[in-house]
Amino acid sequence: MSFKQWNAAIMLATEIVITAWLVWDTAAHPLPDASVAAVATRLLWVTLVMILLNIAAVIGTAIVGSIVTRKEFKDEASDERDRTVYAKSMRNAYFVVSVGGLATLFLLAFGYDPIIAASAVFIDGMLAGAAGSISQLYYYRIG
Amino acid sequence: MGKGKAQIANTIRTLRFHAGEMTQAALAEQVGVTRQTIVAIEQGRYSPSLEVAFRIAKVFGAPLEQVFQYEGEIG
Repeated sequence: MSFKQWNAAIMLATEIVITAWLVWDTAAHPLPDASVAAVATRLLWVTLVMILLNIAAVIGTAIVGSIVTRKEFKDEASDERDRTVYAKSMRNAYFVVSVGGLATLFLLAFGYDPIIAASAVFIDGMLAGAAGSISQLYYYRIG
Repeated sequence: MGKGKAQIANTIRTLRFHAGEMTQAALAEQVGVTRQTIVAIEQGRYSPSLEVAFRIAKVFGAPLEQVFQYEGEIG
């Protein structure tokens, strides 16, 4: 696997771990009277943790990969195939974001709790990221 | 890409053999793409742009139609 494929796999794993943790934490420690601002702030913190975890995982992979392969394991310059894979993956992620954004607007339009809408925006971002990562892995592996 | 197997066959593996068992990495460096892209082209998983196709042909000093052959239906 190339560095770019590892990167996509790490992003996907990070999203799954963070989402699983968030679902577990919400179920274990529910906040029935939380405000929209409190929930949104929590989701922003979770997003920050995910970004930091992702950066740490990519650096860790580069170090471990370099040790295992005994040569520098780093990202190569993108060529036309990389750009095509990236463009197609972003198209898929954009589709998910669009559908999720529309779903969130519907939730608000039909009078659902804004907390649910805020959670929907977060879940939409996670799904879009996952769609992008899975697409990248698919296009790199299958063609 | 993403639409099933490409309908373009190629003879890159044979041409590499006749070029003194040129490695995929060496070919990739001369063409200006990554080794993974050469692997994908060779396995028929990726159809390169015209520019890359011409560059590959030029590395082997062969005409384009000797390197790539279209196997799909026309029309």
